[in-house]
Amino acid sequence: MTKAAIHVPPKGGFSFDLCRRNEMLAQNGLKPPCSFKKTGTTIVGLIFQDGVILGADTRATEGPIVADKNCEKIHYMAPNIYCCGAGTAADTEAVTDMVSSQLQLHRYHTGRESRVVTALSLLKSHLFNYQGHVSAALVLGGVDVTGPHLHTIYPHGSTDTLPFATMGSGSLAAMAVFESKYKEGLTRDEGIQLVSEAICSGIFNDLGSGSNVDVCVITKGHKEYLRNHQQPNPRTYVSSKGYSFVKGHTEVLTTKITPLKEKVEVIEGGDAMEE
Amino acid sequence: MSIFEYNGSALVAMVGKNCFAIASDRRLGVQLQTIATDFQRISKIHEKLYIGLAGLATDAQTLYQRLVFRHKLYQLREERDMKPETFANLVSAILYEKRFGPYFCQPVIAGLGDNDEPFICTMDSIGAKELAKDFVVGGTASESLYGACESMYKPDMEAEELFETISQALLASVDRDCLSGWGGHVFVVTPTEVIERTLKGRMD
Amino acid sequence: MMIDMSGLESAPSLLGVNDELSGGFLRAPSFELPSTIDFDGFQKEAKQTLKHAKGTTTLAFIFKEGVMVAADSRASMGGYISSQSVKKIIEINPYMLGTMAGGAADCQFWHRNLGIKCRLHELANKRRISVAGASKLLANILYSYRGMGLSVGTMIAGWDETGPGLYYVDSEGGRLKGTRFSVGSGSPYAYGVLDNGYRYDMSIEEGAELARRAIYHATFRDGASGGVASVYYVGPNGWKKLFGDDVGELHYKYYPVVQGTVEQEMIEVSGA
Repeated sequence: MTKAAIHVPPKGGFSFDLCRRNEMLAQNGLKPPCSFKKTGTTIVGLIFQDGVILGADTRATEGPIVADKNCEKIHYMAPNIYCCGAGTAADTEAVTDMVSSQLQLHRYHTGRESRVVTALSLLKSHLFNYQGHVSAALVLGGVDVTGPHLHTIYPHGSTDTLPFATMGSGSLAAMAVFESKYKEGLTRDEGIQLVSEAICSGIFNDLGSGSNVDVCVITKGHKEYLRNHQQPNPRTYVSSKGYSFVKGHTEVLTTKITPLKEKVEVIEGGDAMEE
Repeated sequence: MSIFEYNGSALVAMVGKNCFAIASDRRLGVQLQTIATDFQRISKIHEKLYIGLAGLATDAQTLYQRLVFRHKLYQLREERDMKPETFANLVSAILYEKRFGPYFCQPVIAGLGDNDEPFICTMDSIGAKELAKDFVVGGTASESLYGACESMYKPDMEAEELFETISQALLASVDRDCLSGWGGHVFVVTPTEVIERTLKGRMD
Repeated sequence: MMIDMSGLESAPSLLGVNDELSGGFLRAPSFELPSTIDFDGFQKEAKQTLKHAKGTTTLAFIFKEGVMVAADSRASMGGYISSQSVKKIIEINPYMLGTMAGGAADCQFWHRNLGIKCRLHELANKRRISVAGASKLLANILYSYRGMGLSVGTMIAGWDETGPGLYYVDSEGGRLKGTRFSVGSGSPYAYGVLDNGYRYDMSIEEGAELARRAIYHATFRDGASGGVASVYYVGPNGWKKLFGDDVGELHYKYYPVVQGTVEQEMIEVSGA
């Protein structure tokens, strides 16, 4: 059998083999979905006196539906670098995962801490290659040997280097807060406070953003991921009892019960078989 | 009409106390025409791991076969079953590979991990994972299912109560959707047994 | 553009205009046309943004005893079921029924309008309007609005001096006389059952059962039909509602669940 005929796990990269079929389906009037899961988002970052603070809201949307009320938008890149993602959820997830593994391999190779500019170059070259079709808008922040860095990366591959940055659909609301209150040399607590305020501005004024505030503080040799740092939108409509259904309420046609076998523990290194 | 609505489907998974349930409707249609009322959308990967594939049936079946193939390769190499988290990553990677020409499928994955910790997860058609602690939904009835689950779900339900809750949520939701329904199919998986039931529902 | 607005006029012109009686409320205002160049396109677009009650199964047939009329009760908007309890059989007067398929608003409005016209005909001529006449009134109105986005597929069934009458009228202007019709997205399935079970010399019970079964099978196969199968019979003494059965229960009445498969335990050989 030729190699092409066997379906071996692919080496990586995109596969375009369904494109022709999907194009045909579209021509036959079956619309392809236009609403992939998006993070209609507010993501921000700022530089304070000891390093970088990143912030994000936690809402993921699919068209008009809130698909996830508490998702994670601050992605790990390296121990000293984190990255907030906005845009198509699958793209931000995949592109940050991919680059973080490239950075890990690079660290194994060089034995040194990753630099923020390395991550920046890897991200922007990937995004530029796909001409904006990989729709990830990122805020990249970290502290390396050259000090704290904060960058924004647009889906087409262009980048900015800024002392404070916002991205996503709530970027305008968040930037309004930053523009009026940001100053150089903020303390850690002031920084977290300002980031939370900017995210809350996005949460309350932008429909694409919502739920909670995630914050990540990166300083020299140390980082702190404050998951759900603020929860300004707790669930208010839950009833104490909820619905309860008695057993046998639902009408059942057939039932099949399969007992599961106990897992057999194999103790290794016990009585080794003698040759 | 969207390609996701071509065959029609409803999928839901819920977490209980050391157990989980995954349920689907039983209809296979071609747009408004009902072709079959005993269609299987939920498939077993191994004893404690199930996947339901909403969306276009042809892609659901193809994708399922590819996933089983990859899982078998994993079993041969590792001599163990995949953890649900690992499997979710595999599904996500396979879907994202076709980012620019996707399978028109929305997977719902449910499984028991190590220490019988329940795991549920869903994705969009290009592999953006959504991990939830309570419930996940998919298919043409997903909007109704969101509503039903938001109000009916309670944390830490035992297997029997979980079955009643997921069944009622499913049946209530498909009654508001033209393209899914015609009965239901529920799996409740506990550390010791799998309870598989078919539900009596409206046949219109 | 000249449009026949007589359909909206409540009083037939032969009565003579009596402003004392018909002043104000009786003279329904005619629709104002939107100022657009592509008027037909505007109408079509307007219709598509508000489609409602598209999927339906309705049927009617003439047999020895009179006319049997039946319909489901589902209203859908795209894939969403907006109601499971719609009255799709409209009672025009005690001797005449209309069925509803297509746009719900279009059907309801023009049937009500037809009801007014039929009553006025009765008052003017001291005898009930024939089914042929009533259906023609409707067909003429619909024809005058042809191509402007009305969506109506209806059957006018009733009993007049000539006996049972059944006409199919649609928004394209068509009007057909016949003994057996079915309209809506579920009609192919209903026709299948209807054509197979139809005999002219059926009893009322047999006819009602055939109509109910045809609706049931259509609701089973068609995603956009469902809810309640209602069956009406029109005889020499006017119409009467015979059935209003929930299809969800009807299925298990026609196909009872075979008991015994309920509790089936499968125990694997443990410790193999």
